[in-house]
Amino acid sequence: MPTGMRSDIRQVLILAAIALVVVAIGPYLLPTYMVNSLIRAFLYASVALTVDILWGYTGILTFGQSAFFGIGAYAAGLIFTHVGFNAGYATLAFFAGVIGAMIVAAIVGWLAFYHGASPLYGSVITLVLPIVVSQILYSGGNFTGSSSGLSGFESFDVTIEAWFWIAGAFLVVVTALAWMFVRSDAGKVLVAIRENEQRCEYVGIDVSRVKILLMVVCAAIAAIAGYAFASVQMVVAPEYAGFVFGTELLIWVALGGRGTLIGPVIGTLVLDVSTSYLSGNLPFVWKLIIGVAFVVVIVALPQGLMPLIRGALSRLRGRRTTKESDGVGVTLVPATEEMFAGLEGAGRHALVAKDVRKHFGSLQVLEGINFSAERGELLSLVGPNGAGKTTLIRCIADGGERSGGTILLNDHDIERLPPYSCVAFGVGRKFQTANVFETLSVTQALRIARTRHKRPSLWRRDPTLELPQAALQVIRATGIDQRLDTQARYLSHGQKQALELAMVLSLEPSVLLLDEPTAGLTKPERTLIGRILVELATGHQLCILLVEHDLDFVREISSRVVVLHQGRIVLDGTVGEVVESELVRTIYAGGAHA
Amino acid sequence: MAQLLDIITTSAILFAVAAGLLIVFGVMKIINFAHGGFLTVGGYSALAVTKLGLNPWLSLGFAFVIGFVCGMIIERLVVRPLYSRPLDAILATWGLGIIIGQVITLAFGREVQFVQSPVTGAVDLLGASYSQYRLILVAVAIVLAVALGAVLNGTRLGLVTRAVIMNENLARGLGINSGLVRFVTFSLGAGLASLAGALITPLSSVDPNMGVPWLVSAFMLVMVSGVSLVSLAIACLVLGGAQVLVSTYGNPVLGGLTIVVLAALVLRLRPQGFARE
Repeated sequence: MPTGMRSDIRQVLILAAIALVVVAIGPYLLPTYMVNSLIRAFLYASVALTVDILWGYTGILTFGQSAFFGIGAYAAGLIFTHVGFNAGYATLAFFAGVIGAMIVAAIVGWLAFYHGASPLYGSVITLVLPIVVSQILYSGGNFTGSSSGLSGFESFDVTIEAWFWIAGAFLVVVTALAWMFVRSDAGKVLVAIRENEQRCEYVGIDVSRVKILLMVVCAAIAAIAGYAFASVQMVVAPEYAGFVFGTELLIWVALGGRGTLIGPVIGTLVLDVSTSYLSGNLPFVWKLIIGVAFVVVIVALPQGLMPLIRGALSRLRGRRTTKESDGVGVTLVPATEEMFAGLEGAGRHALVAKDVRKHFGSLQVLEGINFSAERGELLSLVGPNGAGKTTLIRCIADGGERSGGTILLNDHDIERLPPYSCVAFGVGRKFQTANVFETLSVTQALRIARTRHKRPSLWRRDPTLELPQAALQVIRATGIDQRLDTQARYLSHGQKQALELAMVLSLEPSVLLLDEPTAGLTKPERTLIGRILVELATGHQLCILLVEHDLDFVREISSRVVVLHQGRIVLDGTVGEVVESELVRTIYAGGAHA
Repeated sequence: MAQLLDIITTSAILFAVAAGLLIVFGVMKIINFAHGGFLTVGGYSALAVTKLGLNPWLSLGFAFVIGFVCGMIIERLVVRPLYSRPLDAILATWGLGIIIGQVITLAFGREVQFVQSPVTGAVDLLGASYSQYRLILVAVAIVLAVALGAVLNGTRLGLVTRAVIMNENLARGLGINSGLVRFVTFSLGAGLASLAGALITPLSSVDPNMGVPWLVSAFMLVMVSGVSLVSLAIACLVLGGAQVLVSTYGNPVLGGLTIVVLAALVLRLRPQGFARE
């Protein structure tokens, strides 16, 4: 039922058309000074938009978009000053700026967003970038004009009105595209990364790559704005590439409302234009007011002013805030199953661990772990707290975890590969505590989990969602199919567990790692999960590795039990053998040092 | 010889400037971008002392007290609600830096001004003639390091602070008022920043934005140092030394970039930086 979606796109197109009309008549109604200020503000706003996408949607706090703006501006300034101006050089400068910015963005992204990088480190790098770029510009002597920059170069012979139209249309188009993008299925991946980067990696998304690509595209947009800025103002200066301008962009976005697109655009337009009017009369006081407003908004209204205005508007219209229509009307359909997608097929063994070791400093957590597990097996991993069960699960799902030894998934050595690469070898990991995307709805979360199988659209929302049989079964059996549009944070604990299990099953794993999937669940829910697991192992021929404390539960469903004690496998056998074992009894009763 | 002294004195200055930021980051896990603002406050405290015609040495104590009081107010009003939002805390404290800069501009004007140095002249040291004040700064930095180390390792407040650094939840569970620890820490960090601002002004001049370049260097140094004063000292020596060498043999602009670029690379290759683990 894609009507909601279609009316959505229609709405964007209508709003964009209205905005274009406003831009078209603007120069005839506004005083020249205002027109001039707005041209600059339009260009700044399109850069602010990229900051909003990076920070507001994806959670990358960036100080560095000013550097890309500066690169675009200086590409024009340098070529027009030193080489000359004609159509050919103008084109050359355009591409030099855009491509240059994209290359720098790729390098910066590679530095900032490696697997395991902290968000703070990413911000550090985006802060270093504008400092480096502006210092290089300062030190460029006559070539870059040093601190006074370049000015008075020849540029396009275009009237101020035309520049107003060009800059305004650019902003409208970029905003409309960004709007469609963030509301599309691909846009939800950004939110998923902001909400829970770890879960993204464990559903097979190469988060670093997504961030780098996003950075490159945002850099290109900022560079185009910078190029236009230099062409219309016929002046460039190092400040435009600097760290302070980078923070100013953040201030506009924060005041307007991060993660709203329209908020940052309006915030930039209002603040930049009022600055150009007021800073003459109240030079320092105005900046002081902005500073105070910024601090107040960050502390008291982290979502900025946009949600307030939106709330007031809808109250005026006498209706309650419209509910996010995302995900409404999505129909679930069974997917064509392809369990070994990307692999040559099932390996000889589903899972093999050879002499796996793990230590934290001098503390040995796992030692000489050797075992293999086959498809169709439901292998329970039991042992007292601190036996190393969760650590072992971690070592299987992330090649970077273990200190030594080899793990083979479907006969593929996972080497030192990150979690998203291990997912490609067929592993799916469910965490001990429900690990979901709090602000995404059930369908959105499941679609994120399907990213590896079906690349999400960059501009629309798919009205159907294909899920493998097993995932559908879990959703229906646990009743979350009745709450498909609910955000995960409103689900009960048991439903969250079920959602995460369904997400992992959506990966169509052949090796399923479950860390206490029934912790905190009610008795009926446990029985239900138990039945589903048995069905997955026997019916779907999955290899399931289950960490569990509840020995009764283990006895009911397992086909094999491995007992882990003090980092070693002490017993590996059938349910009967383990339950009868004297050793297990002493371990659980404590004091066993056999 | 002069170069060796340059390296030592530059490192000492960097250490003094970064120490307050490190303390705040260590205990509170937030980056205080108002640190540059507090440095500026210290610089202008020294200026006020000069203008009143008082003994320049008084400016150190005066700057520390003013910074400490600013820190107390700001912790209550702004920083406290942001403990659980570290990235927002960076932004809010940056906004505070803007506010401090503008208030100072309104009060003192935006022009560059000069502060009287407590000591002038040079001394002969191992055959080189060297600025006496810079050498005194080394002594001040060492005293500062020893004092901070003594407080952290020798007093009950230090013990409690270290407990909060290691495991805040556990510390709270044991009845430690971690809110108070944070309050004192932030105020102390602000006081130290202000003190550092007063220390560095005789070397150059004061203006309302004097703190920003120092903030960036201090921030990068703290990033590579983790939460240890010892690794901060090492980082200051290595990166500060590199800065001096690049400035002398390369060019000053590259020298200005040395700390940020090297620190970023160090973190990329070794995420824990100069800290042991």
